[in-house]
Amino acid sequence: MTGRMLVGLLLGSVLGAGLPVVTLAASAPAGFAENAIGTLVVVRIDGVQERLQGVGQIPLFEGDVLRTDAGSQAVVKFKEGVKVALNEETSFKVLSRWVKDQPLTRILRMSRGEVWVTTYGEEPVRFEVETPVATAAIEGTEFDLKVQEDGQSVLTVVSGIVKFGTAFGTCPIKPGTISYGVRGKKCTKPAPTDVMKALEWTKAVK
Amino acid sequence: MRSRNGQPFVRILLAAIAFGGGLVGCVTDPEAIAPLPQRIYVANESDNSVTVIDANTYKVVGTIDAKNSSTHDLSLTRDGSKLFATNLASGRVSVIDTRSMETIASIDTGNRAHVVTLTNDNKQAWVANIGENNISILDATTYRILGTIPVGEGPTGLAFSHDGRFAYVSNQGEKAIKVIDTASHQIIKSIPVGANPHFLIVDRQGRVWGTNTGETTIYVIDPETNDIAGTLEVGAKPQQIAFGFKGTKGPLAYVTVGGTDKVAVVNADPKNLKVLEEIAVGSGPNGIWANLEGTRLFVGHDKGHDVRVIDTGTSAVISTVPVGRKPIRVVVSR
Repeated sequence: MTGRMLVGLLLGSVLGAGLPVVTLAASAPAGFAENAIGTLVVVRIDGVQERLQGVGQIPLFEGDVLRTDAGSQAVVKFKEGVKVALNEETSFKVLSRWVKDQPLTRILRMSRGEVWVTTYGEEPVRFEVETPVATAAIEGTEFDLKVQEDGQSVLTVVSGIVKFGTAFGTCPIKPGTISYGVRGKKCTKPAPTDVMKALEWTKAVK
Repeated sequence: MRSRNGQPFVRILLAAIAFGGGLVGCVTDPEAIAPLPQRIYVANESDNSVTVIDANTYKVVGTIDAKNSSTHDLSLTRDGSKLFATNLASGRVSVIDTRSMETIASIDTGNRAHVVTLTNDNKQAWVANIGENNISILDATTYRILGTIPVGEGPTGLAFSHDGRFAYVSNQGEKAIKVIDTASHQIIKSIPVGANPHFLIVDRQGRVWGTNTGETTIYVIDPETNDIAGTLEVGAKPQQIAFGFKGTKGPLAYVTVGGTDKVAVVNADPKNLKVLEEIAVGSGPNGIWANLEGTRLFVGHDKGHDVRVIDTGTSAVISTVPVGRKPIRVVVSR
C-alpha cells in the first residue's frame, strides 16, 4: 500500500464517520440479481443501467430501479433473507427505512407488475412491499402481489401472515386468501383463493 | 444531539432529579415526563439541519442533524414531541425526537420531498413530492408508507381544512390548488391561482391562504365553497404567511416578501384585503411563524442565515438569532 493510498483510506474513514446514515446505507449491496429469463434492467440512482440475461450476480443498491419488460422475468435475493421474483412488465425501486435502535427495514416500492416474495433462513426479516395504494409488511411468509394500471393492488398469501395496509387501515391476510387494496378504501375482506394458480407464472423463473 | 454549552443535557439531568423517582422512574412513568419548553425550530436547507431556539430567551439550545440532505419543511405534532422534516435532495423525511433533539427515523417518500403536513389527528404525515407529482401518506407512528395520491405537476404546498374533510395542494406546474376529498383520496376540484403557487396555511377562521411566489400576489380560499374569496398584491416573491395581532387590531396576516426584504402586514378580512404596513427585515425573508398569542413573529432569512423576532405591537425587530445556512422554514411549539 502506498502512502497516498493510506492517506486516502484515513481521510475516507474520517469523512465517512460523519456521513449521513442514508449515504452509508447506499454503499453496501442490498442484495443480488441472480437470474433472468429475457432481460432484467437495473437502473442505478445516477441513471446508469446494467442488464442481466440468464444466471449472474448483479449487486443491487439502495435507490436502484429494477425493471422487466414484456416476456421477461427475473429473480433477486436480498440480504435480509428474502427472495423476490419479478413477473413480466414489473418495476420496483429498492429502498429502506431507518429507525434508531432497529434493524433496517428493506422496502420495495412497486409502480407496476407482479412480484412473488418468500423469506428464507432462520432470522425474522423486516421487509415491506409498497404499491401506489397499499403496503404489504412481512416477517416470515410467502405471497404474490400484483399492481394493476390504476394502482389497485391484489395480494395473495401463500404462507404466513401479511399485514396489508392502506391509508384507511391495516388487515392481517392469512394463507390461502386474497385481498384487494383500492385507493380511498381499507383492504377488502380476505377471500379463499387458489394460491397455486396465482403462482403459476413463477414456475419458469424460480 | 449537538448542543451549545451542554444545556439540553443539564436540563435532562435536572428534570430527572426533579422527578424524584430517579432515572428509571423517569423513563417508565409517562406522567413523570416534564412538558417540553416552548421552542422555535428552523430548517436550514444548506446545512441539512434544524436549529432549536428557546422561544422565551431567543437563545439557540441545539442543532439537530437531519441525517439527510436539503432539509426544507417542518411539521410538528400537537404535543411537540416529534418533528417531521422533509429533505429535498434526499427525497426522505426525517423524524426528530424533540426531547432528545435527535433524528430517530429516516423514510424515503419520493423524489424531491418538498413539504410535509400532519393530519389534524396527527396519525399521518402527508408529504408532497415535487419530482413524482404525488403525495405520500406516511403513518406517523410506524413510519410506513400507506399509499400515494397523484395530484398533478409540481406539488409544493399542503394544508388540511379545519374539519379534515379536505386537503389543499398547490401545484406549480398547473398554477392551481387541488382539493382532495380525504375520505376517498380523490381530487374533487382544481382552483386556478397564479404563477408558482407555493405555501399554504389555514387561518383560525378556516380560510386557506396561499402565496403566488412567481408573482406578487396572495390569495384566500373560502372553505365553504372552495372558491377564491380574495387576492392582494403584496410585492415580488411572496413566500409564507402567519397570523397575529397588533394591539387591538387583528387578526392580521403577515406575509414574507422575498423580493422586497419586508414583511407585509395585511388586513385579514378577505372582503377587505389591503396592506396596512410593511416591516423591513433582513435579506430573503422566507419562513414565518407566530406564537400562539400572535404577539411575536419569527422570520427566517434564506439569504441572511438568521431568524428575526418581531414584536407585533410595535412592528420592531427585537432580536436576531444566527442559525444555519439558508433557513427556509420556521415552526414554533405550543
